[in-house]
Amino acid sequence: MSDSSWLGWLLDPFGHAFMRNAFLAIILVGVICGVTGTFVTLRGLAFMGDALAHAIFPGVVIAFVLGGNFLIGALVAAVLVSLGIGAIGQSGRLSSDTAIGVLFAGAFALGVAIISAQRTYARDVAGFLFGSILGVSGDDLRLTGIVGVGVLVVMVVCRRELIAVAFDRTFAQAAGLNLWRWDQLFLLLLSLSIVVSLQTVGNILVLAMLVTPAATARLLTDRLPLTVGLAAVIGAGSGVAGLYASYYLGIASGASVVLVATLLFALAFLFAPHTGLVSSAVGRRLHFPHPERDVFAPTGEGEATLGEATAPQRPAAR
Amino acid sequence: MGVGGDRLAISLRLPVGDQAKAGVAGRQPILEHSEHRRGILVGPRERENGFLAFARNDNGQGCRPPDVPVPALLAHDLKPATAIPRLETSALSVHFGDRSALEGVDLRIGAREILSLLGPNGAGKSTLLKALAGVLAPTHGVVLLDGQRVRRPNSRVVYVPQRSGVDWHFPVSVLDVAMMGIGLRRSRWRPLGASDRQAALTALERVGMRRLAGVQIGQLSGGQQQRVFLARALVQDGEILLLDEPFAGVDAPTQELLVDLFARLRDGGKTILYATHDLSLAAASSDRMLLVHHRLIADGPPAAVMTAENLRETFGGRAVLPMPPSSPPGIAVAEREVSRHDQSLGSA
Repeated sequence: MSDSSWLGWLLDPFGHAFMRNAFLAIILVGVICGVTGTFVTLRGLAFMGDALAHAIFPGVVIAFVLGGNFLIGALVAAVLVSLGIGAIGQSGRLSSDTAIGVLFAGAFALGVAIISAQRTYARDVAGFLFGSILGVSGDDLRLTGIVGVGVLVVMVVCRRELIAVAFDRTFAQAAGLNLWRWDQLFLLLLSLSIVVSLQTVGNILVLAMLVTPAATARLLTDRLPLTVGLAAVIGAGSGVAGLYASYYLGIASGASVVLVATLLFALAFLFAPHTGLVSSAVGRRLHFPHPERDVFAPTGEGEATLGEATAPQRPAAR
Repeated sequence: MGVGGDRLAISLRLPVGDQAKAGVAGRQPILEHSEHRRGILVGPRERENGFLAFARNDNGQGCRPPDVPVPALLAHDLKPATAIPRLETSALSVHFGDRSALEGVDLRIGAREILSLLGPNGAGKSTLLKALAGVLAPTHGVVLLDGQRVRRPNSRVVYVPQRSGVDWHFPVSVLDVAMMGIGLRRSRWRPLGASDRQAALTALERVGMRRLAGVQIGQLSGGQQQRVFLARALVQDGEILLLDEPFAGVDAPTQELLVDLFARLRDGGKTILYATHDLSLAAASSDRMLLVHHRLIADGPPAAVMTAENLRETFGGRAVLPMPPSSPPGIAVAEREVSRHDQSLGSA
């Protein structure tokens, strides 16, 4: 294949305005979900993410029925459900896992009940569940961009707290952080990320955008900033590749995006540095040294000479 | 830090009184909130020289401070300190639902002390540490830090939890973890710089972990992880360190290193309170032992606290006395003569 035909192949989708919007939207969604998704995977909140995605449903449906802004409806629903899950979890009588299960199924059923009373039931539900990326308008794109940038800015500004709460809750609490508030802030950011992704990948597959690129990135590096960056790149990359696949193979866009992300995950899982076949070259640079393998410890050097310079001393026991 | 400079910490063996031991003295601020519950503090208005002091006798009980004028005290080995951390509890009780974890604990913790906290599992050791740190709200009673009621975590009191709650797969390095101690205290708009990195590395050096600074946290052994969290606490630069089971699962060299580090920290003006299960280690390495079993059973120097009666009351049916210090650390399940043990500890 010659250069020009390659270029043509790549550029062809951009001839259509809806494809340009779709590409921009999926890149935005990939980046946003990659960043928030890293924290979702690190905190083991995949189920919570799925629950929020479903819990948003009645909010969107009610906004749709009333002719209001779907984003606001979705956010109200997400905040209510996350508060409800927090309240049930904090009561101590049920695990938060159980609380999530109860509330998300209930909220989803409420959404289905409302929308089933509408005339265009089947089509609306399909659009909601699987997304309609080719229908992304300029306004949708602007909204996604504004909300997404807002989410990213808040995450960067509050990174220390979010990391501390994710890594070591007892420490974070002892350092004076209000865990409940930071949890709620994170759930809000997560809800926003999900809401702006709904139109692009749909309700069911948004979980994949949150979890899969972040999980792939985690397999490739042990450094947090790099994990976040890689997750964003992998998310956006899967989106673009998936859209090409969708365009040329004629498969549903949301599904093809998620399939590409899953394929990348499988590759990383099989060939990840240290655990896979293609180990060292890239891996060594992305990973921390391993204490036994990579750090050559001269015996008696590091450990024995602690703090000698810092303190003139009495014996330990008086 | 954060407290006025017109204070003085005294950490010395007072040459007066029958076996009176080291005490802490300070100027006015202490008086304003001291309750004189045990007649330990004597205020400046009752004494001419403007100082108040408290002393503890060898039984660990408060006693009248020695009748020494300030200039004479100063003539001794006085180290001025910018602040005297004094943590105290009054009738502290913590309940979880119907269950009482701690009942009526009265405790005073001065500057330059190493305290060990002992008791069986579920006796309320962690609960006490959390209450002192302001992480857990007491059901009754108060925790006071320099007379101010502690209602939430305070930067002067650093609490080091047990390790169990941490996700070891988290993509952070040893250095990253140590830096977390700085990050949360810093304005979010000020990035961490080279000097912070240096401070974290110095703290890691003090716990002997500097050469593993680049390693992912989950790759370390249990004892190494423990030391990293200690480094994170050191970086936070509090005056009082509350450590929950710092010796759990650490090997002998690490244990030695920690004991040595605690002594250095104490001599540098810090207060250390750690919970442990190791009686002999606590007896050998702390200035004061606290035995807890839902209430404070004993409080005082190891020699005074380690009686068969106290231990039986704390740990239940059989008395457990540690082996003499010459033996490897551990707990012998046999009764021994307490007096012999006292001598070997050399209570001066």
